[in-house]
Amino acid sequence: MDFEADMGIPSVPMVLSEFYEQETEKTHNEGMPGLRIEWIRGPVWGKTSEQLRRDVVNGTSPISGKNVMREIVDHLTRPLTDDDIRTGTIERGRGPETFTDTPDNLQKLFLEKRFTDFLPVILPTEEKVAEMLKGTSHDPDEALGKLAPTFGNAFEYWTFTVKDVAVNAVMAGCKPEYFPVILAVASTNKEGISVSDNSFVEGLVINGAIRNEIGLNSGIGAMGPYAHANTTIGRAWSLYSINLGNCGKVGTTYMGTVGNPMNLINIVIAENEEDSPFAPLSVRKGFKKNENIVSLFEGWGVLSAKNWRANTWDPVMNYPETIKEIFSLQDQMFGAAAVLSPPIANFVRNAGFETIEKFKEFLIEGPDGQKYFQSPNQMEIIVTGGSNNNYFSIGGMRYSSSVTIDDWR
Amino acid sequence: MKRHMSAGLIALLCLGLFCSYTANHRAQAQGVSQEKITVLTPLGTPPPITLRPMAPRPASLEGKTVYILDQGYPNSDKLMLEVTAWFEKNMPETKAIFRRMGRGSRPSPGTPDLFTEIKENADGVVIGTGH
Repeated sequence: MDFEADMGIPSVPMVLSEFYEQETEKTHNEGMPGLRIEWIRGPVWGKTSEQLRRDVVNGTSPISGKNVMREIVDHLTRPLTDDDIRTGTIERGRGPETFTDTPDNLQKLFLEKRFTDFLPVILPTEEKVAEMLKGTSHDPDEALGKLAPTFGNAFEYWTFTVKDVAVNAVMAGCKPEYFPVILAVASTNKEGISVSDNSFVEGLVINGAIRNEIGLNSGIGAMGPYAHANTTIGRAWSLYSINLGNCGKVGTTYMGTVGNPMNLINIVIAENEEDSPFAPLSVRKGFKKNENIVSLFEGWGVLSAKNWRANTWDPVMNYPETIKEIFSLQDQMFGAAAVLSPPIANFVRNAGFETIEKFKEFLIEGPDGQKYFQSPNQMEIIVTGGSNNNYFSIGGMRYSSSVTIDDWR
Repeated sequence: MKRHMSAGLIALLCLGLFCSYTANHRAQAQGVSQEKITVLTPLGTPPPITLRPMAPRPASLEGKTVYILDQGYPNSDKLMLEVTAWFEKNMPETKAIFRRMGRGSRPSPGTPDLFTEIKENADGVVIGTGH
Protein backbone atom coordinates (compact mmCIF):
# COMPACT_ATOMS: atom_id res chain seq x y z
CA MET A 1 0.00 0.00 0.00
CA ASP A 2 2.93 2.32 0.60
CA PHE A 3 3.72 2.32 -3.10
CA GLU A 4 0.48 4.23 -3.68
CA ALA A 5 0.44 6.78 -0.87
CA ASP A 6 4.14 7.24 -0.14
CA MET A 7 5.74 6.76 -3.56
CA GLY A 8 2.83 7.78 -5.81
CA ILE A 9 3.15 4.59 -7.87
CA PRO A 10 0.04 2.63 -8.93
CA SER A 11 0.21 -0.83 -7.38
CA VAL A 12 -1.72 -4.07 -7.54
CA PRO A 13 -1.24 -6.64 -4.78
CA MET A 14 -2.06 -10.22 -5.85
CA VAL A 15 -3.79 -11.89 -2.92
CA LEU A 16 -5.51 -15.26 -2.44
CA SER A 17 -9.30 -14.87 -2.56
CA GLU A 18 -9.56 -16.59 0.85
CA PHE A 19 -8.21 -13.32 2.28
CA TYR A 20 -10.93 -11.17 0.64
CA GLU A 21 -12.73 -10.22 3.86
CA GLN A 22 -9.50 -9.70 5.77
CA GLU A 23 -7.90 -7.44 3.17
CA THR A 24 -11.11 -5.52 2.49
CA GLU A 25 -11.37 -4.66 6.19
CA LYS A 26 -7.65 -3.95 6.37
CA THR A 27 -7.56 -1.56 3.40
CA HIS A 28 -10.59 0.24 4.85
CA ASN A 29 -8.97 0.57 8.27
CA GLU A 30 -5.69 1.72 6.73
CA GLY A 31 -7.45 4.54 4.87
CA MET A 32 -7.35 3.24 1.31
CA PRO A 33 -10.63 1.35 0.79
CA GLY A 34 -10.37 1.58 -2.99
CA LEU A 35 -7.00 -0.18 -3.24
CA ARG A 36 -7.20 -2.41 -6.31
CA ILE A 37 -6.33 -5.93 -5.27
CA GLU A 38 -6.25 -8.78 -7.76
CA TRP A 39 -7.87 -11.80 -6.11
CA ILE A 40 -6.39 -15.09 -7.20
CA ARG A 41 -7.04 -18.78 -6.71
CA GLY A 42 -4.96 -20.41 -3.99
CA PRO A 43 -2.89 -22.02 -2.82
CA VAL A 44 0.27 -20.86 -4.61
CA TRP A 45 2.54 -22.92 -2.38
CA GLY A 46 3.22 -26.39 -3.76
CA LYS A 47 2.24 -25.72 -7.39
CA THR A 48 4.46 -26.00 -10.47
CA SER A 49 5.05 -23.06 -12.83
CA GLU A 50 2.75 -24.72 -15.36
CA GLN A 51 -0.02 -25.06 -12.79
CA LEU A 52 0.37 -21.43 -11.70
CA ARG A 53 0.26 -20.28 -15.32
CA ARG A 54 -2.93 -22.28 -15.92
CA ASP A 55 -4.73 -21.59 -12.61
CA VAL A 56 -3.68 -18.01 -11.93
CA VAL A 57 -2.01 -16.10 -14.76
CA ASN A 58 -4.26 -17.44 -17.53
CA GLY A 59 -7.16 -18.04 -15.14
CA THR A 60 -9.93 -15.87 -13.78
CA SER A 61 -10.38 -14.06 -10.49
CA PRO A 62 -12.65 -16.05 -8.13
CA ILE A 63 -14.16 -12.73 -7.02
CA SER A 64 -14.78 -10.85 -10.29
CA GLY A 65 -14.73 -13.73 -12.77
CA LYS A 66 -12.48 -11.65 -15.05
CA ASN A 67 -9.14 -12.69 -16.57
CA VAL A 68 -6.45 -12.10 -13.95
CA MET A 69 -3.83 -10.38 -16.08
CA ARG A 70 -6.26 -8.21 -18.05
CA GLU A 71 -7.78 -7.08 -14.77
CA ILE A 72 -4.32 -6.23 -13.37
CA VAL A 73 -3.69 -4.00 -16.40
CA ASP A 74 -7.09 -2.38 -15.82
CA HIS A 75 -6.27 -1.80 -12.12
CA LEU A 76 -3.06 -0.01 -13.15
CA THR A 77 -4.69 2.24 -15.77
CA ARG A 78 -8.36 2.86 -14.88
CA PRO A 79 -8.90 6.51 -13.82
CA LEU A 80 -9.40 7.18 -10.11
CA THR A 81 -12.74 8.14 -8.59
CA ASP A 82 -13.29 11.00 -6.13
CA ASP A 83 -13.41 8.45 -3.29
CA ASP A 84 -10.01 7.08 -4.34
CA ILE A 85 -8.29 10.42 -3.68
CA ARG A 86 -10.15 11.50 -0.53
CA THR A 87 -8.07 12.60 2.48
CA GLY A 88 -8.92 13.38 6.09
CA THR A 89 -9.51 11.52 9.34
CA ILE A 90 -12.45 9.33 10.37
CA GLU A 91 -12.84 8.98 14.14
CA ARG A 92 -14.05 5.60 15.32
CA GLY A 93 -15.52 4.88 18.73
CA ARG A 94 -16.08 1.49 20.21
CA GLY A 95 -19.85 1.81 20.24
CA PRO A 96 -22.13 1.96 23.29
CA GLU A 97 -20.38 1.92 26.67
CA THR A 98 -23.21 -0.12 28.21
CA PHE A 99 -26.00 -2.48 27.18
CA THR A 100 -29.28 -2.89 29.11
CA ASP A 101 -31.59 -5.88 28.74
CA THR A 102 -32.55 -9.13 30.45
CA PRO A 103 -29.66 -11.55 31.19
CA ASP A 104 -30.91 -14.00 28.56
CA ASN A 105 -31.10 -11.31 25.90
CA LEU A 106 -27.69 -9.94 26.84
CA GLN A 107 -26.16 -13.40 26.44
CA LYS A 108 -27.71 -13.53 22.97
CA LEU A 109 -26.51 -10.01 22.18
CA PHE A 110 -22.93 -10.77 23.26
CA LEU A 111 -22.99 -13.91 21.12
CA GLU A 112 -24.38 -12.05 18.09
CA LYS A 113 -21.83 -9.25 18.44
CA ARG A 114 -19.08 -11.88 18.74
CA PHE A 115 -18.02 -10.58 22.16
CA THR A 116 -17.69 -14.20 23.28
CA ASP A 117 -15.84 -17.43 22.54
CA PHE A 118 -19.26 -18.94 21.66
CA LEU A 119 -19.78 -20.16 25.22
CA PRO A 120 -21.97 -18.36 27.78
CA VAL A 121 -20.12 -15.69 29.76
CA ILE A 122 -20.50 -14.09 33.16
CA LEU A 123 -22.26 -10.83 32.30
CA PRO A 124 -19.98 -7.89 33.21
CA THR A 125 -22.13 -5.66 35.41
CA GLU A 126 -20.55 -2.59 36.99
CA GLU A 127 -20.65 -4.38 40.38
CA LYS A 128 -18.85 -7.49 39.14
CA VAL A 129 -16.22 -5.42 37.33
CA ALA A 130 -15.68 -3.32 40.48
CA GLU A 131 -15.13 -6.54 42.41
CA MET A 132 -12.57 -7.72 39.85
CA LEU A 133 -10.75 -4.37 40.08
CA LYS A 134 -10.20 -5.03 43.80
CA GLY A 135 -7.58 -7.55 42.63
CA THR A 136 -5.23 -4.73 41.65
CA SER A 137 -4.10 -1.37 43.02
CA HIS A 138 -3.85 0.06 39.51
CA ASP A 139 -6.16 2.84 38.37
CA PRO A 140 -9.06 1.40 36.32
CA ASP A 141 -8.53 4.08 33.69
CA GLU A 142 -4.81 3.41 33.35
CA ALA A 143 -3.90 2.91 29.69
CA LEU A 144 -2.51 -0.59 29.80
CA GLY A 145 -1.55 -1.48 26.27
CA LYS A 146 -2.32 -2.08 22.64
CA LEU A 147 -3.19 -5.30 20.90
CA ALA A 148 -3.43 -6.63 17.34
CA PRO A 149 -4.04 -10.09 15.84
CA THR A 150 -0.29 -10.42 15.28
CA PHE A 151 2.86 -8.43 15.93
CA GLY A 152 4.27 -5.97 13.40
CA ASN A 153 2.39 -3.59 11.16
CA ALA A 154 0.05 -5.98 9.34
CA PHE A 155 -2.97 -5.07 11.52
CA GLU A 156 -4.18 -2.02 13.39
CA TYR A 157 -3.65 -1.94 17.15
CA TRP A 158 -6.57 -1.38 19.50
CA THR A 159 -5.88 0.25 22.85
CA PHE A 160 -7.29 -0.73 26.24
CA THR A 161 -7.33 0.15 29.93
CA VAL A 162 -7.07 -1.84 33.15
CA LYS A 163 -10.87 -1.69 33.43
CA ASP A 164 -11.32 -3.06 29.92
CA VAL A 165 -9.27 -6.10 30.91
CA ALA A 166 -11.34 -6.45 34.10
CA VAL A 167 -14.55 -6.60 32.05
CA ASN A 168 -13.17 -9.50 30.04
CA ALA A 169 -11.79 -11.23 33.13
CA VAL A 170 -15.30 -11.13 34.63
CA MET A 171 -16.73 -12.60 31.44
CA ALA A 172 -14.19 -15.46 31.59
CA GLY A 173 -15.27 -16.28 35.12
CA CYS A 174 -12.04 -15.22 36.85
CA LYS A 175 -11.74 -14.42 40.54
CA PRO A 176 -10.22 -11.05 41.58
CA GLU A 177 -7.15 -12.82 42.98
CA TYR A 178 -6.31 -14.03 39.45
CA PHE A 179 -6.45 -10.50 38.05
CA PRO A 180 -2.75 -9.57 38.58
CA VAL A 181 -1.74 -12.58 36.46
CA ILE A 182 -4.08 -11.48 33.67
CA LEU A 183 -2.89 -7.87 33.83
CA ALA A 184 0.74 -9.04 33.70
CA VAL A 185 -0.02 -11.02 30.54
CA ALA A 186 -1.99 -8.09 29.06
CA SER A 187 0.96 -5.77 29.72
CA THR A 188 3.03 -7.78 27.20
CA ASN A 189 0.69 -6.79 24.35
CA LYS A 190 0.87 -10.39 23.13
CA GLU A 191 -2.29 -11.68 21.52
CA GLY A 192 -3.87 -14.87 22.85
CA ILE A 193 -5.21 -15.80 19.40
CA SER A 194 -2.84 -15.30 16.48
CA VAL A 195 -4.14 -14.58 12.98
CA SER A 196 -1.62 -16.98 11.43
CA ASP A 197 -2.76 -19.72 9.07
CA ASN A 198 -0.44 -21.98 11.11
CA SER A 199 -3.22 -22.28 13.73
CA PHE A 200 -0.85 -21.29 16.52
CA VAL A 201 -1.52 -21.76 20.22
CA GLU A 202 -0.28 -19.53 23.03
CA GLY A 203 1.09 -20.69 26.37
CA LEU A 204 1.78 -19.35 29.85
CA VAL A 205 4.13 -20.74 32.48
CA ILE A 206 3.55 -19.42 36.00
CA ASN A 207 6.15 -19.60 38.75
CA GLY A 208 6.24 -18.49 42.37
CA ALA A 209 4.08 -18.69 45.46
CA ILE A 210 1.06 -17.29 43.63
CA ARG A 211 0.58 -20.72 42.03
CA ASN A 212 -0.64 -22.14 45.31
CA GLU A 213 -2.21 -18.91 46.58
CA ILE A 214 -4.73 -18.79 43.75
CA GLY A 215 -5.19 -22.54 43.36
CA LEU A 216 -3.40 -23.22 40.08
CA ASN A 217 -3.12 -26.93 39.40
CA SER A 218 0.42 -28.21 38.89
CA GLY A 219 -0.35 -31.87 39.63
CA ILE A 220 -2.32 -34.48 37.71
CA GLY A 221 -3.93 -32.90 34.64
CA ALA A 222 -1.84 -29.73 34.99
CA MET A 223 -2.14 -28.63 31.36
CA GLY A 224 -5.84 -29.39 31.09
CA PRO A 225 -9.05 -27.65 32.21
CA TYR A 226 -9.08 -29.27 35.65
CA ALA A 227 -8.75 -26.25 37.93
CA HIS A 228 -10.75 -23.03 38.03
CA ALA A 229 -7.67 -20.78 37.99
CA ASN A 230 -5.89 -22.47 35.06
CA THR A 231 -9.07 -22.62 32.99
CA THR A 232 -10.40 -19.12 33.51
CA ILE A 233 -7.01 -17.34 33.27
CA GLY A 234 -6.44 -19.03 29.93
CA ARG A 235 -9.97 -18.19 28.80
CA ALA A 236 -9.55 -14.56 29.83
CA TRP A 237 -6.45 -14.25 27.61
CA SER A 238 -8.44 -15.39 24.58
CA LEU A 239 -11.55 -13.35 25.45
CA TYR A 240 -9.69 -10.10 25.94
CA SER A 241 -7.77 -10.79 22.71
CA ILE A 242 -11.10 -11.05 20.87
CA ASN A 243 -12.50 -7.88 22.40
CA LEU A 244 -9.48 -5.66 23.05
CA GLY A 245 -7.38 -6.64 20.02
CA ASN A 246 -10.05 -7.62 17.48
CA CYS A 247 -8.51 -11.11 17.31
CA GLY A 248 -10.12 -14.40 16.34
CA LYS A 249 -12.60 -13.23 13.69
CA VAL A 250 -12.57 -15.90 10.98
CA GLY A 251 -11.94 -14.38 7.57
CA THR A 252 -10.57 -11.08 8.82
CA THR A 253 -8.37 -11.49 11.89
CA TYR A 254 -8.18 -15.29 12.13
CA MET A 255 -6.92 -17.42 9.26
CA GLY A 256 -5.77 -20.63 10.98
CA THR A 257 -6.24 -23.17 8.20
CA VAL A 258 -7.42 -26.03 10.40
CA GLY A 259 -7.81 -24.14 13.69
CA ASN A 260 -6.72 -25.13 17.17
CA PRO A 261 -9.02 -26.13 20.06
CA MET A 262 -6.41 -24.88 22.52
CA ASN A 263 -7.26 -21.29 21.50
CA LEU A 264 -10.25 -21.54 23.85
CA ILE A 265 -8.26 -21.62 27.08
CA ASN A 266 -4.65 -21.67 25.83
CA ILE A 267 -1.94 -23.71 27.58
CA VAL A 268 -1.67 -22.48 31.15
CA ILE A 269 1.08 -24.25 33.09
CA ALA A 270 1.88 -23.79 36.75
CA GLU A 271 5.31 -25.35 37.11
CA ASN A 272 5.49 -28.12 39.68
CA GLU A 273 8.38 -26.47 41.51
CA GLU A 274 7.87 -28.67 44.57
CA ASP A 275 8.54 -31.95 42.72
CA SER A 276 10.99 -30.68 40.11
CA PRO A 277 14.71 -31.42 40.56
CA PHE A 278 15.58 -28.36 38.48
CA ALA A 279 15.51 -24.60 39.03
CA PRO A 280 12.13 -23.11 37.99
CA LEU A 281 11.85 -21.58 34.52
CA SER A 282 11.60 -18.09 36.05
CA VAL A 283 14.90 -18.52 37.90
CA ARG A 284 16.55 -19.70 34.70
CA LYS A 285 15.28 -16.48 33.09
CA GLY A 286 17.02 -14.37 35.74
CA PHE A 287 14.35 -13.85 38.40
CA LYS A 288 14.66 -14.72 42.10
CA LYS A 289 13.21 -17.96 43.42
CA ASN A 290 9.66 -17.47 44.77
CA GLU A 291 9.17 -14.33 42.67
CA ASN A 292 5.76 -14.47 41.00
CA ILE A 293 6.50 -14.57 37.29
CA VAL A 294 4.51 -15.42 34.18
CA SER A 295 6.35 -16.45 31.01
CA LEU A 296 4.87 -16.50 27.52
CA PHE A 297 5.23 -19.12 24.79
CA GLU A 298 3.89 -19.44 21.26
CA GLY A 299 3.91 -22.23 18.71
CA TRP A 300 2.08 -25.25 17.38
CA GLY A 301 1.38 -26.79 20.76
CA VAL A 302 2.71 -29.91 22.46
CA LEU A 303 1.79 -33.56 22.03
CA SER A 304 2.36 -36.59 24.19
CA ALA A 305 5.83 -38.02 23.63
CA LYS A 306 4.17 -41.39 23.14
CA ASN A 307 3.00 -40.06 19.77
CA TRP A 308 6.51 -39.51 18.43
CA ARG A 309 8.04 -42.40 16.50
CA ALA A 310 11.40 -41.71 18.13
CA ASN A 311 9.96 -42.77 21.49
CA THR A 312 10.62 -46.51 21.80
CA TRP A 313 8.82 -47.42 25.05
CA ASP A 314 11.19 -50.18 26.11
CA PRO A 315 11.12 -51.78 29.57
CA VAL A 316 14.29 -49.88 30.37
CA MET A 317 14.10 -46.31 29.15
CA ASN A 318 16.77 -43.78 28.22
CA TYR A 319 14.66 -40.64 28.51
CA PRO A 320 17.42 -38.09 27.80
CA GLU A 321 18.16 -39.85 24.50
CA THR A 322 14.45 -40.10 23.66
CA ILE A 323 13.89 -36.40 24.34
CA LYS A 324 16.93 -35.58 22.21
CA GLU A 325 15.63 -37.66 19.31
CA ILE A 326 12.22 -36.02 19.42
CA PHE A 327 13.79 -32.55 19.71
CA SER A 328 15.84 -33.28 16.60
CA LEU A 329 12.58 -33.67 14.65
CA GLN A 330 11.27 -30.22 15.56
CA ASP A 331 11.22 -27.31 13.11
CA GLN A 332 13.66 -24.42 13.61
CA MET A 333 10.85 -21.83 13.50
CA PHE A 334 9.69 -22.43 17.04
CA GLY A 335 12.44 -24.68 18.31
CA ALA A 336 11.32 -27.24 20.85
CA ALA A 337 9.70 -27.29 24.25
CA ALA A 338 9.29 -30.31 26.50
CA VAL A 339 6.76 -30.47 29.32
CA LEU A 340 8.12 -33.15 31.64
CA SER A 341 6.27 -34.83 34.47
CA PRO A 342 8.33 -34.95 37.68
CA PRO A 343 9.33 -38.63 37.24
CA ILE A 344 10.80 -37.89 33.79
CA ALA A 345 12.54 -34.76 35.09
CA ASN A 346 14.05 -36.81 37.91
CA PHE A 347 15.16 -39.47 35.44
CA VAL A 348 16.99 -36.78 33.47
CA ARG A 349 18.55 -35.39 36.65
CA ASN A 350 19.66 -38.85 37.78
CA ALA A 351 21.20 -39.48 34.38
CA GLY A 352 23.79 -36.86 35.29
CA PHE A 353 22.24 -33.64 34.03
CA GLU A 354 22.41 -31.43 37.11
CA THR A 355 20.86 -28.42 35.42
CA ILE A 356 18.59 -27.70 32.47
CA GLU A 357 21.47 -25.78 30.91
CA LYS A 358 23.64 -28.93 30.91
CA PHE A 359 20.75 -30.93 29.52
CA LYS A 360 20.32 -28.39 26.71
CA GLU A 361 24.02 -28.72 25.83
CA PHE A 362 23.39 -32.43 25.37
CA LEU A 363 20.14 -31.93 23.44
CA ILE A 364 21.55 -29.50 20.90
CA GLU A 365 24.47 -31.68 19.77
CA GLY A 366 23.77 -33.53 16.51
CA PRO A 367 25.97 -36.05 14.70
CA ASP A 368 29.36 -35.06 13.23
CA GLY A 369 29.61 -31.86 15.25
CA GLN A 370 26.36 -30.46 13.83
CA LYS A 371 23.79 -28.76 16.03
CA TYR A 372 20.07 -29.41 15.92
CA PHE A 373 19.35 -25.79 16.80
CA GLN A 374 21.27 -22.55 16.35
CA SER A 375 21.03 -21.68 20.04
CA PRO A 376 20.12 -23.35 23.35
CA ASN A 377 17.54 -20.57 23.69
CA GLN A 378 15.49 -22.34 21.04
CA MET A 379 14.84 -25.15 23.51
CA GLU A 380 12.90 -25.03 26.76
CA ILE A 381 12.11 -27.55 29.47
CA ILE A 382 9.14 -27.14 31.84
CA VAL A 383 8.25 -29.47 34.71
CA THR A 384 4.62 -29.97 35.68
CA GLY A 385 1.97 -32.62 36.23
CA GLY A 386 1.57 -35.62 38.48
CA SER A 387 3.95 -38.40 39.41
CA ASN A 388 1.57 -41.23 38.61
CA ASN A 389 3.38 -42.26 35.42
CA ASN A 390 6.26 -41.49 33.06
CA TYR A 391 4.40 -39.32 30.60
CA PHE A 392 5.61 -36.11 29.02
CA SER A 393 4.82 -33.88 26.04
CA ILE A 394 6.93 -32.21 23.38
CA GLY A 395 6.26 -29.81 20.54
CA GLY A 396 7.26 -26.64 18.74
CA MET A 397 6.74 -23.88 21.29
CA ARG A 398 8.96 -20.80 21.56
CA TYR A 399 9.61 -18.80 24.73
CA SER A 400 9.18 -15.05 24.20
CA SER A 401 9.22 -13.11 27.49
CA SER A 402 8.65 -13.14 31.24
CA VAL A 403 6.96 -10.47 33.36
CA THR A 404 6.53 -9.86 37.08
CA ILE A 405 3.02 -10.56 38.36
CA ASP A 406 3.46 -8.59 41.59
CA ASP A 407 3.80 -5.34 39.63
CA TRP A 408 0.10 -5.74 38.88
CA ARG A 409 -1.22 -6.45 42.38
CA MET B 1 -74.82 -40.68 24.88
CA LYS B 2 -75.31 -37.21 26.40
CA ARG B 3 -73.37 -38.34 29.46
CA HIS B 4 -70.49 -39.48 27.25
CA MET B 5 -70.40 -36.10 25.46
CA SER B 6 -70.37 -34.19 28.76
CA ALA B 7 -67.50 -36.28 30.06
CA GLY B 8 -65.59 -35.63 26.82
CA LEU B 9 -66.14 -31.85 27.10
CA ILE B 10 -64.97 -31.82 30.70
CA ALA B 11 -61.85 -33.76 29.72
CA LEU B 12 -61.09 -31.28 26.90
CA LEU B 13 -61.62 -28.37 29.28
CA CYS B 14 -59.19 -29.88 31.81
CA LEU B 15 -56.64 -30.49 29.06
CA GLY B 16 -56.98 -26.88 27.92
CA LEU B 17 -56.49 -25.54 31.44
CA PHE B 18 -53.45 -27.81 31.91
CA CYS B 19 -51.88 -26.66 28.64
CA SER B 20 -52.49 -23.01 29.54
CA TYR B 21 -50.86 -23.54 32.95
CA THR B 22 -47.76 -25.27 31.54
CA ALA B 23 -47.35 -22.64 28.81
CA ASN B 24 -47.40 -19.85 31.44
CA HIS B 25 -45.04 -21.80 33.63
CA ARG B 26 -42.65 -22.36 30.71
CA ALA B 27 -42.74 -18.68 29.77
CA GLN B 28 -41.81 -17.70 33.32
CA ALA B 29 -39.00 -20.24 33.36
CA GLN B 30 -37.71 -18.90 30.04
CA GLY B 31 -37.08 -15.52 31.59
CA VAL B 32 -40.07 -13.47 30.52
CA SER B 33 -40.11 -12.16 34.08
CA GLN B 34 -36.31 -11.52 34.13
CA GLU B 35 -35.36 -8.04 35.29
CA LYS B 36 -33.22 -5.92 33.02
CA ILE B 37 -29.62 -5.34 33.98
CA THR B 38 -26.88 -3.09 32.61
CA VAL B 39 -23.53 -4.47 31.53
CA LEU B 40 -20.34 -2.85 30.29
CA THR B 41 -18.93 -3.10 26.79
CA PRO B 42 -16.02 -5.54 26.61
CA LEU B 43 -14.45 -3.78 23.62
CA GLY B 44 -11.16 -1.94 23.32
CA THR B 45 -10.78 1.24 21.29
CA PRO B 46 -9.89 1.09 17.58
CA PRO B 47 -7.68 3.85 16.19
CA PRO B 48 -9.01 6.60 13.89
CA ILE B 49 -8.76 6.04 10.14
CA THR B 50 -6.50 8.38 8.20
CA LEU B 51 -7.66 8.44 4.57
CA ARG B 52 -4.83 8.26 2.06
CA PRO B 53 -5.08 9.04 -1.67
CA MET B 54 -4.23 6.47 -4.30
CA ALA B 55 -1.62 7.21 -6.97
CA PRO B 56 -2.71 8.75 -10.30
CA ARG B 57 -3.08 6.22 -13.12
CA PRO B 58 -1.46 6.42 -16.57
CA ALA B 59 -3.86 6.22 -19.53
CA SER B 60 -2.09 3.07 -20.72
CA LEU B 61 1.00 0.98 -20.00
CA GLU B 62 2.46 1.46 -23.47
CA GLY B 63 6.09 2.53 -23.09
CA LYS B 64 5.81 2.24 -19.30
CA THR B 65 7.81 0.19 -16.79
CA VAL B 66 6.08 -2.21 -14.41
CA TYR B 67 7.96 -3.84 -11.54
CA ILE B 68 6.88 -7.39 -10.70
CA LEU B 69 7.80 -7.98 -7.06
CA ASP B 70 8.17 -11.35 -5.33
CA GLN B 71 7.08 -10.93 -1.74
CA GLY B 72 9.01 -13.99 -0.59
CA TYR B 73 6.25 -16.38 0.44
CA PRO B 74 6.69 -20.04 -0.55
CA ASN B 75 6.50 -20.38 -4.34
CA SER B 76 5.52 -16.75 -4.93
CA ASP B 77 8.68 -16.28 -7.02
CA LYS B 78 7.41 -18.88 -9.50
CA LEU B 79 4.10 -17.06 -9.82
CA MET B 80 5.62 -13.62 -10.23
CA LEU B 81 8.03 -14.94 -12.88
CA GLU B 82 4.97 -16.22 -14.76
CA VAL B 83 3.38 -12.75 -14.43
CA THR B 84 6.57 -11.22 -15.83
CA ALA B 85 6.54 -13.69 -18.73
CA TRP B 86 2.90 -12.79 -19.48
CA PHE B 87 3.79 -9.10 -19.83
CA GLU B 88 6.76 -9.95 -22.09
CA LYS B 89 4.58 -12.11 -24.33
CA ASN B 90 1.32 -10.17 -24.37
CA MET B 91 2.42 -6.55 -23.82
CA PRO B 92 5.95 -6.28 -25.29
CA GLU B 93 5.59 -2.49 -25.41
CA THR B 94 5.58 -2.53 -21.57
CA LYS B 95 8.87 -3.17 -19.78
CA ALA B 96 8.32 -5.78 -17.04
CA ILE B 97 11.10 -6.06 -14.44
CA PHE B 98 11.11 -8.93 -11.91
CA ARG B 99 12.65 -8.30 -8.48
CA ARG B 100 12.76 -10.22 -5.19
CA MET B 101 12.02 -8.34 -1.97
CA GLY B 102 11.42 -9.16 1.70
CA ARG B 103 7.98 -9.87 3.04
CA GLY B 104 5.65 -6.89 3.28
CA SER B 105 5.49 -3.82 1.10
CA ARG B 106 7.59 -1.65 3.37
CA PRO B 107 11.35 -1.33 2.86
CA SER B 108 13.26 -3.83 4.98
CA PRO B 109 16.88 -3.17 6.00
CA GLY B 110 18.15 -5.28 3.12
CA THR B 111 16.12 -3.64 0.37
CA PRO B 112 16.42 0.19 0.52
CA ASP B 113 18.22 0.24 -2.84
CA LEU B 114 15.38 -1.69 -4.45
CA PHE B 115 12.83 0.84 -3.22
CA THR B 116 14.96 3.72 -4.51
CA GLU B 117 15.17 1.96 -7.87
CA ILE B 118 11.39 1.44 -7.93
CA LYS B 119 10.67 5.03 -7.00
CA GLU B 120 12.91 6.29 -9.81
CA ASN B 121 11.82 3.91 -12.55
CA ALA B 122 8.42 2.33 -11.91
CA ASP B 123 5.16 3.45 -13.51
CA GLY B 124 3.36 0.57 -11.81
CA VAL B 125 3.95 -2.27 -9.40
CA VAL B 126 2.47 -5.76 -9.20
CA ILE B 127 3.30 -7.45 -5.91
CA GLY B 128 2.58 -11.00 -4.86
CA THR B 129 1.37 -13.10 -3.44
CA GLY B 130 0.30 -11.66 -0.07
CA HIS B 131 0.42 -15.28 1.14
